[in-house]
Amino acid sequence: MLGPLVNMITSNKFQTIAQNTDACVKLETSLKAVGRPTFTLMDKHTDKETRKYAATKEFLYQILCLGIYLAIIPAVFKNGGFKLAQRIFKKEGMPAFKNAKQMLSYHHLAYMSPAERCNPKNKKFLDLIDKDLINPNDGTPLYEYLMGNKEKHIEPLSKKTMENKGLMFELAKGSIELSSIIGSVIGLTILAPEISHYILHPVMKAIDKKSSLKARNVNAFDKKA
Amino acid sequence: MGLSNILYDKLKKLCVSLGKHNDALYAVLAIAVFKGVMRPTFTMMDKKSDRETKKYAAFREGLTEAIAFASYILTHKLVLPLAVPIAKKTGKSPKKVKNGLSLLSVCLTAGIIIPFICNLTLKPIMDGVKKLNDKRKNSKTDSFDRILDIKENIVSEKINVSGIYSPQLSAPSRSLLDAVRRNSLQNAAMKVGG
Repeated sequence: MLGPLVNMITSNKFQTIAQNTDACVKLETSLKAVGRPTFTLMDKHTDKETRKYAATKEFLYQILCLGIYLAIIPAVFKNGGFKLAQRIFKKEGMPAFKNAKQMLSYHHLAYMSPAERCNPKNKKFLDLIDKDLINPNDGTPLYEYLMGNKEKHIEPLSKKTMENKGLMFELAKGSIELSSIIGSVIGLTILAPEISHYILHPVMKAIDKKSSLKARNVNAFDKKA
Repeated sequence: MGLSNILYDKLKKLCVSLGKHNDALYAVLAIAVFKGVMRPTFTMMDKKSDRETKKYAAFREGLTEAIAFASYILTHKLVLPLAVPIAKKTGKSPKKVKNGLSLLSVCLTAGIIIPFICNLTLKPIMDGVKKLNDKRKNSKTDSFDRILDIKENIVSEKINVSGIYSPQLSAPSRSLLDAVRRNSLQNAAMKVGG
């Protein structure tokens, strides 16, 4: 029982999600969308119709939150925040990553063992690392750290060596995480309630009208019977 | 050293520490804190609802987020000490187990523990607060009456309670009453997105 669970939580995928604010918030919101309506439906303090209504509203709200999050955070906050950080910390020797996705791909690969990096599953991450993307501190291409260079007889670096030599570029990674946290807070605490006011209320009113129409039809049928 | 330099250093330190270790807990705690402040504020700013309803809804929202905040911290504190024994038993890296357990605790708390605690505690707490409010109001009006010594319109004879019957509602009026109840609930008690 413990073995598979530990294998799951220590897998590379789970570790990447745990270190990534964006993925964590998406996962949390999805779980809320399932968990909260379920518990609302199980609540015995209120009558069935009210529970149904509240659960539907809760589910729609969480889905809306997820939608707002997916639409705004990666495009605006993650990339925008990263670009801003690149400008603020331009003297700190950060490589000229094109965008947040490229930086996160590099970080994801650097976190793996050299053998894992060659796995075809990870090719999509490797393809994002341009060969002319260099570390400004020593002029070495970042691709060389990850995959080595057979012509120059350079071996790929392990995760530990990269950490020790400061090649994980924590400042760049941290700036992405910080802007994602700020974006999540703004998106979920200010934008979502305001937008839900314009979208959720009409939808819930329409659902309510439909259900009351149905109830009226049932009543009419009962009377006839 | 100027203020901008201090800010620059603080920001750099924060980014580096987040880059080295970003816990799943940070984002959810930040969201819970800001939701706990912003949502009641927005509710109180709503001009459509009456003051008592707004107060009730804002208190409920604040309480939900306080429960969420405490639950995240508590489960995190309970789960993390398990990382070392699990890592020893399975031969995995303690750091990886710690990271994984942290995310797992956040997921379990968000999906199961918070809704469960809210279901269990919100209703009794809100009922208790309502009763307290009613008591306070009653005592205020009582003392006001005593000061003024109001004795006008006092009904001296006892009302025969057994003679009062609850009205029998027809089906359309019952559905209308349900709709009104649900509408009032929509405005106050069952606010979503805690």
